[in-house]
Amino acid sequence: MNSKNTKSVLHQMWTAKSAVLMIFMLFLSASLFAQTKKISGTVYDNTGNVLPGASIIEVGTKNGTTTDFDGKFSLQVAVGSAIEVSFIGSTTQKVQITANTSNYDVRLQNDGYALAEVQVVSVGYGKVKKSDLTGAISTVGADDLVKGTISSTEQVLQGKVAGLNIIRPSGDPAAGSTIRLRGGTSLTASNSPLIVVDGIAGVDINVVQPSDIKSVDVLKDASATAIYGSRGANGVIMITTKSGTKGVSVVYNGQTSVGYVNDNLDLLSANQWRGYVRQNGLADAVDYGANTNWQKAIEQTAISQSHTLSINSGKADSGFRTSLSYLNNEGVIKRSGLERLSGNVSAYQYLGDNKDVKFDTGLFANIDKWHPIDYRIFERAYNLNPTIPVYDSEGNFTSVAGNIYQNPVEILTNRTFDNERHRLLGYFKTDVKFLNDFTATANISLEHNAVKAGTYKPSYAVMEGQTEGGFAQRTYGEYTNAQGELYVNYSKTIDKHNISALAGYSYLENIYQGFGAQRGGFVTDAFGYNNLGAGYNYRLGDVYSYKGKSNLVSFYARANYSYDGKYLLTATVRRDGSSRFGENNKWGTFPSASAAWRVSNEEFMSSTKGWLDNLKVRVGYGVTGNQDGIGEYKSLSILGVGNDSYYDPITKTWSLAYSPKQNPNPDLKWESTEQINVGFDFGLFNRITGSFEYYSKKTKDLLYTYEVPQPPYLVGTMLANVGEMSNKGVELTLNADIIKGDKFNWNANLTLGHNVQKIEKLSNPTYKTDVIYSGSLHGLAGMSGQYSQIIAEGYPVGTFWGFKNAGLDADGKIQYYNAANEVVAESALVDADKRDLGNIQPDLTLGIGMNFTYGNFDLGVSGYGMFGQKALNATNMMLNDPNRLPAFNVPDSFLSSGITSAPKYSDYWIEDASFFRLQTLSIGYTLPLKYKKSKVRMFVMGENLFVITGYKGVDPEIGLNAQDGINQTGVMDQTGLAAPGIDRYNNYPRPTTISVGLNFTLNN
Amino acid sequence: MKIKITAAILLSMLFTVSCTDLDEQLYDQVEDGNFGNTTKEIDALVGGGYSSLRGFSDAISNNFPTCEYVFFLNEVVSDEATIPTRGTNWYDGGQYQDAQKHTWKADNRMILSAWRYNYTGIAKINAIIYQINKSSLTEKAKEPIFAELKALRAYYYYNLLDLFGNVPIVTNFEDTDLPTNSTRKQVYDFVEKELTDAIPYLNPNVVYSKLTRNVAYAILARLYLNSEAFIGVARWQDCIDTCQKITGYSLTPDFFANFVTENQGSSEIIFAIPYDSKAGTVGNYMNSMSCHYNQKLAISPVGNYPWSANGMCAQPGVYSSFADTDKRKKCMLEGDQINLATGSVIMMDNGEPLTYTENLTSLEDAKENEGVRLAKYEMKAGEQWERDHDFVLIRYSEILMMQAECFVRLGSPDLAKPFLQQVTARAGEEMPTTIDLAFIDQELLKEFTFEGRRRTDNIRFGTFFEPWWSKGTTEKYRAIFPIPSTVLTTNKNLKQNPGY
Repeated sequence: MNSKNTKSVLHQMWTAKSAVLMIFMLFLSASLFAQTKKISGTVYDNTGNVLPGASIIEVGTKNGTTTDFDGKFSLQVAVGSAIEVSFIGSTTQKVQITANTSNYDVRLQNDGYALAEVQVVSVGYGKVKKSDLTGAISTVGADDLVKGTISSTEQVLQGKVAGLNIIRPSGDPAAGSTIRLRGGTSLTASNSPLIVVDGIAGVDINVVQPSDIKSVDVLKDASATAIYGSRGANGVIMITTKSGTKGVSVVYNGQTSVGYVNDNLDLLSANQWRGYVRQNGLADAVDYGANTNWQKAIEQTAISQSHTLSINSGKADSGFRTSLSYLNNEGVIKRSGLERLSGNVSAYQYLGDNKDVKFDTGLFANIDKWHPIDYRIFERAYNLNPTIPVYDSEGNFTSVAGNIYQNPVEILTNRTFDNERHRLLGYFKTDVKFLNDFTATANISLEHNAVKAGTYKPSYAVMEGQTEGGFAQRTYGEYTNAQGELYVNYSKTIDKHNISALAGYSYLENIYQGFGAQRGGFVTDAFGYNNLGAGYNYRLGDVYSYKGKSNLVSFYARANYSYDGKYLLTATVRRDGSSRFGENNKWGTFPSASAAWRVSNEEFMSSTKGWLDNLKVRVGYGVTGNQDGIGEYKSLSILGVGNDSYYDPITKTWSLAYSPKQNPNPDLKWESTEQINVGFDFGLFNRITGSFEYYSKKTKDLLYTYEVPQPPYLVGTMLANVGEMSNKGVELTLNADIIKGDKFNWNANLTLGHNVQKIEKLSNPTYKTDVIYSGSLHGLAGMSGQYSQIIAEGYPVGTFWGFKNAGLDADGKIQYYNAANEVVAESALVDADKRDLGNIQPDLTLGIGMNFTYGNFDLGVSGYGMFGQKALNATNMMLNDPNRLPAFNVPDSFLSSGITSAPKYSDYWIEDASFFRLQTLSIGYTLPLKYKKSKVRMFVMGENLFVITGYKGVDPEIGLNAQDGINQTGVMDQTGLAAPGIDRYNNYPRPTTISVGLNFTLNN
Repeated sequence: MKIKITAAILLSMLFTVSCTDLDEQLYDQVEDGNFGNTTKEIDALVGGGYSSLRGFSDAISNNFPTCEYVFFLNEVVSDEATIPTRGTNWYDGGQYQDAQKHTWKADNRMILSAWRYNYTGIAKINAIIYQINKSSLTEKAKEPIFAELKALRAYYYYNLLDLFGNVPIVTNFEDTDLPTNSTRKQVYDFVEKELTDAIPYLNPNVVYSKLTRNVAYAILARLYLNSEAFIGVARWQDCIDTCQKITGYSLTPDFFANFVTENQGSSEIIFAIPYDSKAGTVGNYMNSMSCHYNQKLAISPVGNYPWSANGMCAQPGVYSSFADTDKRKKCMLEGDQINLATGSVIMMDNGEPLTYTENLTSLEDAKENEGVRLAKYEMKAGEQWERDHDFVLIRYSEILMMQAECFVRLGSPDLAKPFLQQVTARAGEEMPTTIDLAFIDQELLKEFTFEGRRRTDNIRFGTFFEPWWSKGTTEKYRAIFPIPSTVLTTNKNLKQNPGY
């Protein structure tokens, strides 16, 4: 960095910093001289929940205030006067002020609908009443989160938020999910929303356990997410965790479940195989004499359990909550699973005469243990001849030579993979109220995430172990995010004008580091991975360590104005500086503005009062960024040592060479997304609420690792900001209380999303590309270097590109259409005959849920679906190969299909992967206990009971990356390139699960 | 009130201690400006030039451009080797079939790999020169280092001259303008001049695996030998004269001593790419690319040999062209492969015996066991995936053969005899009474089978354009490869080679 730039940037930041500080000190000193008597208190609704935004007026004056998000207020009043406490939809209440009391708790009577509107929503560095929102934000309360056998926290949102797709590529308990909001915005960078837990941005969602979540707010449009600047483009998921609420309670939740595989590929059984061999007179086909179902041989019935115990205690000025949970989710593939122990402690304490200072602290910690499995077993289970026994006559694993022919049970059994992850998040937050209208907040936090792994492939393990003579490896990797934030909120009500403002600063430092060692050649297999020094065979690359660091400095501000609760305006701006960005683009500015109009509050709408509870129109625009795709140091010219060794013939030794590593790009910057959002919120008949959103977003400066010409470039690729992508769509959210009765209640909710994605541009004057080939088929037999998809202007990501089939000819060879739509043989095809064969983007995503209660019984059902997306069934393509029999197994359907041509990629193997999955069905009975509203609920739940689909593979819900689930479990990535929507032997089956559980709530 | 003040002080402290520095701090790598100031650092930089000879693997070219694949392009388009499609395997978009049939197109990934292998080496050397130029070394001290690096770079340019002809010449690391083509003649002149200029500064002694004066002469001799094919000007005498300047080498009595696992002691190897499993060098898996999956049982009774892919093999006719007495014939595996554990023939997964045959059903549909396999380099039980044998680029027998060929071409076949005599005698063969070009051609095939140079010989002898197994007549423009299509898309300044 040249020093001139450094100085001006520092100066700029210093000025902004001092300004904030001065304002802060000014207000603080002013409050020191305030003289009048102060009263304070809390406003509750009729069910005992705090009411934020209730108005408090000193009778006969203009002196007044509103309650904060904890329902608390404080006000200077004359002794002997009275205050009037009012709230929309509630009866106004008058309270006399006496000389010796300064604390007034007020309880208002209000109806249910108004309650929904006073729900507070986290918007980043503060909260807003739902009724005052101007951006597109969806909220899911604890009761509405997905329940079940959950080992990854994001699963609780599956199907719950319109426009938010959570795709779980496999049933492996140790695998994560892919989260996409509104179609995603990036080709190579992360498309995952920013996760904010209790105000701490950018943390691992799994640090929080589902049972600790109070509510989740999903910030969807740019006017809502722009406050998170260069990290906001993919949306923001704000998680608020439970904290000590008033009263004392002890809660236990426990469940135990049985999971099994419902659907396997229909492959030939040993007898079907024998029948085929007999019919076709295949004299030299080898029958190994057994009847083995290789898919069943690697599967097991999964027994899982989870237990959570929490203690909650809340008093007038303090509270705490602790929870401890344990889960052990077995996988339906042998040896896989996840075991987790987690704990959470949070506490708060008010200080000061008027509770002006609040301290909040929270600590989340968990330990995961799992045993990754090698996903190459699935291909082998499909390949193996069903007459081969799992064990030979001596009880050893049958070993048949051939590299794609290895015994998958042996692979699962004979290797040790022990992984352990530790997650920790701690924060300490201080709020100071001053001058009635200001609150300053300081929040410091630390997140730590570490993974350690041990691998041992003994000398008798067929894959890798044998050739290495035993192979042991230990690895350790960790990262730490340290964050400090300071912001001031201002809020003032003058008559019908409501003004609030926020200004803040934050600093984030990320440090990652790790090391590893491996050795082969062990005299005995007795040590496992515990004695690396005993291996005699080691190589230069066998030990390594690494470390890197990045930081992000931000300034942000927000202003809200509303008049009479009818006209609402919000504007935000954030300025982010990141060390990852290139020399020429260190700082970025991300603005937004939005407005809303509560039409239903207008005088002229009085005639609709009978049926229209709420109608609000919102419009917003903003610019957000995505900086995740830029790793550290990508903009620099760097020398490094790899496995880049050279031979010194004089000393006859090897030394390490230092070589330039990358083409530096000093212009590297964030991807930026402009988004317009128009939305309507409505409430009807006091029963139905919902919202409708339309959005249009355009992402510029898309990051992609471009192929650059060699010469002149050092290496063949370079990370650069070039392309443009657009996403447009609509979303609908509906919630209806269909029946509201004394005994019987029926509630239903529905989310629908539709998104259209298009790549607008891929080239600029420096970097040119007509088309990027993706969806690699590399690694499939005979398909090295082949691609199934393109990324090209005018098409969405994941567009299948290839030949269109014209069915089988008389000999069973697949025929194709050429560009002129004439039917031709495979040999006559040329590149120009390739065409668009559909894409992986769904036309419609659906989430649906219903809850019924009848007396003490409850019944819940929820499901989700995706419709219109295409998938390449590469598993089927490879299995329907006439060269396979008799040595390898084939699907039952192959025998009747008549196919005689060798596998070749075309739309013959592309299928519609639309599906609807019944996610959960639960029935519960609540037994009320006599003691202080304590209760016991017992339930039975079924998960993944059925899937409705026309897809012929094992499961239509295919990951967005072929290596999803593979990387997660630490096993080697076989594909190299991202390959969305391709089903290629990587189907860890999703289990069907039946569980029984018990919730026990003891109140005191 | 005290609390508020304390809290305010705490809050303001957070501001004052916070940092706003956005400079990146490096921990496990070094910025280029901070390197190249000690002899050790200079050695580590120059070493990078040599390590580039091994090639690399990345996601762009799915044919990993580790060196042997690049050199193998010269074999699969020649009359010597082929990669048939076996069932589903080795179809890979038809790139190998195209190579055999001489119908390759500009998007063939083998060709892209060859391009990127050479230009990555060139760019790396340019970067090293730039780096050393910035160092504190005196100009005098830089001279021999630059000479060595430029000669190494000239070797890459020689490959490009041979493979692609009209390629851009880039020598300055800082110049990132998109270059235009040079003519084949310009590239030829550049290679000749770079080598000639470097020679006085190069090490005159025999130093294994380094670009010494001898190596530079050998590359220059190759240039003169192929001069007629490259630019239409025959320079046979220049080739002979240059060969005669090469000193300090002799043929090893055992031909295969050049291809054993520890082949770095060979007195015959002029230039080689060192490999060592303990040094973690990646590449050099040619044996594994050729042998059947179950060949491992013929190497180790428990099958302790790395994975094999059952791919490339010799073209029909190559194996039988060797006399049975020719010791070099053992560089191929033919017939029954014996399981060391049982003593009987290895069985394939389909229940048939693993017996390599010289003939193939067809290029498009060969059986698993068809084609004789490459076994020139030693295969040992317990070998690691990272191989230990060095990849031989230039052997002294090539210097002998070059002189023999030139004398025949100059009309003095008798003068060729002393050179040929050494080569044929070691192979256990008789030398014919009359030496003609046809004999030289056959002798080159037998002496250098699978050593990555056959295409160049076929072109020089003109046989390249004649029909052979699974190939018709080849048009002249295919004597050079097309510039890869992705290179043309990203650099619009480049023109495609004529004919493509």
